Amino acid sequence: MLRRVVLQTFRQGLAQSFFKRNAASLSESAVTQHPIETSEEASEKSGSKQKNGDESGNTVVVAPPEFRFMYPEFLPDPTMERRNKLKEKLERMDMLQRRSIIEIPEFYTGSIMAVTVADSNSPNKFARFVGICIQRGGSGLQAWFILRNVVDRQGVEILYEMYCPLIQKIEVLRLERRLDESLLYLRDALPEYSTFPFEMEAERRLNNSVVPINPIKVKLRPRPWLERWERQNLQGVEDLNLPQRYYDRAKEVAKPWEKYDLMLQYRKTIPAEEQEKIYAEVHSQLQQQDLKRKIKRRRGPSSEQ
Amino acid sequence: MNQADLSKLVSALRIAVKPKPRLFASPEGPAGRLRKLKATVTALVKYERIELNYPRAEEAQGYAERLISDAIRNGDCHKHTMEMADYWLDEKQLIHKLFKVLVPRYKEYNSSYTKLVLGPKTYPGYYAGTAILELKGNPFPALQPATQNYHYWLHNVLLDEAKREFRVAKAESNTNLSEPVASKN
Repeated sequence: MLRRVVLQTFRQGLAQSFFKRNAASLSESAVTQHPIETSEEASEKSGSKQKNGDESGNTVVVAPPEFRFMYPEFLPDPTMERRNKLKEKLERMDMLQRRSIIEIPEFYTGSIMAVTVADSNSPNKFARFVGICIQRGGSGLQAWFILRNVVDRQGVEILYEMYCPLIQKIEVLRLERRLDESLLYLRDALPEYSTFPFEMEAERRLNNSVVPINPIKVKLRPRPWLERWERQNLQGVEDLNLPQRYYDRAKEVAKPWEKYDLMLQYRKTIPAEEQEKIYAEVHSQLQQQDLKRKIKRRRGPSSEQ
Repeated sequence: MNQADLSKLVSALRIAVKPKPRLFASPEGPAGRLRKLKATVTALVKYERIELNYPRAEEAQGYAERLISDAIRNGDCHKHTMEMADYWLDEKQLIHKLFKVLVPRYKEYNSSYTKLVLGPKTYPGYYAGTAILELKGNPFPALQPATQNYHYWLHNVLLDEAKREFRVAKAESNTNLSEPVASKN
């Protein structure tokens, strides 16, 4: 039974790995293996619940593979000294509880977002900020992201904690990805790359199943810079045009062996089996919340009438 | 707090992994550390049982398990796995051995692929001593006997009898306890 499912899914899985959400990181090349392939078959566009039969005949719930890119904060901190299964489980419960009240949409570094926060000191009691997400991090309830914008020729960055109860609304105005996972170089780039109007409206996406990658190459201001960008292998920056000695020194200082250090990679990642378990646990609730919101949105205008 | 790296999918290792790696100081620095561990992993895949010092054996065990688990998960057409195998195995015929011999051998395993056994300490002092690192399923005779306990050894016979008597006595006392309660009702 399981083998037949795998044979059916292989072709579909291959096709879908091209046309589905382009969630795989740019460094991953091949289609992923067995347990993830079987979930790709039935997940289709909306990532529905997939029930596979295991050897004992009980159904096994598997979340679609792109969940780890859509909800990376559900994975715990990989530092071994800080792992505690009970704490992580309780945190996930609290995260789902918060998500049932506020919609925290899917976003990536490079997406333009608007966040409304409750602020007792502002005249409207709310403060709204629009910006491009330059970095995201943290795990569990401490997950955060940084929005950057240029306001009155002054660059402004705000770090928002996703599960903070002060946050009233998170909107994604433009959902897209960039060529890098961290856009901190926008601090040294020309201001036009970080300027977004506050009145910007949410853009409708033509293709709902694929997150577009914006291949823009950003121009940096002349030196001095905040970091040594030539040492960071940035894809989204135009040619830096530095004197050769900078590149020579970067080569001297580089650590090419780290790419091959398998245990270093292992200590920075959560193993695939654990990831599957975690997402299988949370994904049904996330799907339910998503569905309820969709129904509310459709009913919204009709109920007003 | 750090966010887990999402770019690679790794299999869970079935050995105890310590939170911090050992540094292995060498004149070349961290590059030298990986070069030496590379030689150890190559030797392990080539000879399937090697005797070396315990600290190096423990580190190399982690890298060997990672290499084999990646090979099983991704197969030999995966670019990244091939690059890792090319780096970690100095002799190129061992890459063939990894994918053609070791992967089919370990595909159905639910346990670790390597075994680390403590060896003798050749001179007195407070140090870890030698260790023998081997790939499971190797063709050599076993280092440790397969089973330690046989049911027909005298002490095991006596223990089994004692356990049976205890269970019988306990069952009897339970029935004794329940009877007076039933008679009351």
